Amino acid sequence: MGDPTEPPVIEVGDGAAIPLKRDIGLFSAWRVAFFGAIAAVTYLAITRPDPYLRILLFVPDGILVTFEVTVAAILLALVIGLFTGLGRLAKNRLVNGVASLYVEVIRGIPLLVQIFYIYYALGRIVRIPDLYSAVIAMAICYGAYMGEIFRAGIQSIPRGQTEAARSLGMTQTQAMTHVIIPQAFRVVLPPIGNEFIALLKDSSLVSILAVSDLLRRGREFAAESFSYFETYTVIALIYLALTLFFSKLIGLLEERFGADKRAA
Amino acid sequence: MRGHSFGPLATVLAGLCLAAALAGPAFAGAARTVTVATDATWPPMEMVDASKKIVGFDIDYLTAVAKEAGFTPSFKNTAWDGIFAGLAAGRYDMIASSVTITEERKKQYDFSDPYINVGQILVVPKADAVKALAGLKGKKVGAQIGTTGAMEVKKIEGVELKTYDEIGLAFEDMAAGRIAGVVCDEPTAAHYALQRTEYKAKFKIVGEPFTQESYGFVVKKGDQELVDLLNKGIKAVKAKKIDEQLRKKWLR
Repeated sequence: MGDPTEPPVIEVGDGAAIPLKRDIGLFSAWRVAFFGAIAAVTYLAITRPDPYLRILLFVPDGILVTFEVTVAAILLALVIGLFTGLGRLAKNRLVNGVASLYVEVIRGIPLLVQIFYIYYALGRIVRIPDLYSAVIAMAICYGAYMGEIFRAGIQSIPRGQTEAARSLGMTQTQAMTHVIIPQAFRVVLPPIGNEFIALLKDSSLVSILAVSDLLRRGREFAAESFSYFETYTVIALIYLALTLFFSKLIGLLEERFGADKRAA
Repeated sequence: MRGHSFGPLATVLAGLCLAAALAGPAFAGAARTVTVATDATWPPMEMVDASKKIVGFDIDYLTAVAKEAGFTPSFKNTAWDGIFAGLAAGRYDMIASSVTITEERKKQYDFSDPYINVGQILVVPKADAVKALAGLKGKKVGAQIGTTGAMEVKKIEGVELKTYDEIGLAFEDMAAGRIAGVVCDEPTAAHYALQRTEYKAKFKIVGEPFTQESYGFVVKKGDQELVDLLNKGIKAVKAKKIDEQLRKKWLR
């Protein structure tokens, strides 16, 4: 390695047939955590159905709502984030100002306060159903953070790329759409995946709006059965399994786009 | 700066004073301090006034009980959602927070004698013609999480229950038109629907209280000593008619 006279060592891996050295090994942190969480919940439900099985039968619609809120919020936040990131890079002073103001203000107010505000304060002026206001609040908050991630990603693409694209006759917009953003995508994928996981966990804050998500279902069960320890254990394990599942999906995406390797 | 360091002497003195303060009640047999948890978002039974003091019917009642029984109550504002868990964990000695005596709760905690009877009642927007909870089938009704009001709403088929951390949030949602009704204890319903200026014009109480419930003070299971103290105090308060004075003062 690094010795110019030696022929380069080529690692040949072909799945199970010729496994790479680092692929051997049953235990990875992810596998231990994910299957451990599922095993723990199953074990508890089987050995002590009351209250563990009752909890598991009570919460599934909460899991669905958590899922819906998270996916809707992330999609909306991605769109908001992309435009915010581009806005902060814009030469137009008005667009830049609006985008920057948005980022600074939203980053300055805690998410829980924002959720309360959009639901109750704005709810007096415009009637927004609770699920939508939860999604909007989360998308607005996370959009600001994603805007900064997109901006960093776009700024990381060397200026030479834009210059080359422009000199080939593309307009600024074409250069951005066809050359810069596809390359920036690889760069922003790990941080965006990170935000996705964070959003999944922060979705538990919408339980304060009486949205029947996973945490609220758990709290309702605990309040009536007084089995606080058991309920919150199960809720925590379910959240863990959900976030691990998504982090695996993000990991696969990263591998697919080569975002888990160094640039060149 | 010339040393104002009092050094080790001060530490020893401070430690002795602290030890004396902690040991004092045990040795001197002075009035025992009982920590009381209450969710002060349930007017007029317990609420926080403008000077951030916890006030209300329950507060005055327990203070009167304590005077008769010979202990000093120290009130702690605690969120309703975890109030029972905190008692089981020993964070405080008792709960005085409009807690209805139910069989399920009796299995896990000990109650004092009942100190007041109330019922659950339904509040709806003024324009609504519904006469009872059953008339709200297919609509959403709000209640505070883990209360007997929530349990009553769950009993009705076809009515969707929305649980709130505080009852005030439920009324706010009804004002915004997101839910069709709120079920809570009668004194609290009266406070919100008849006395709060911003809600007086919007809400009305329908029908009569549809449950018969009694409030009791809650203590950790097995704390018979505190239960006896409380019962002694409650008997004395009822004998001296202090509870009627408090009813006149706080309820309607």
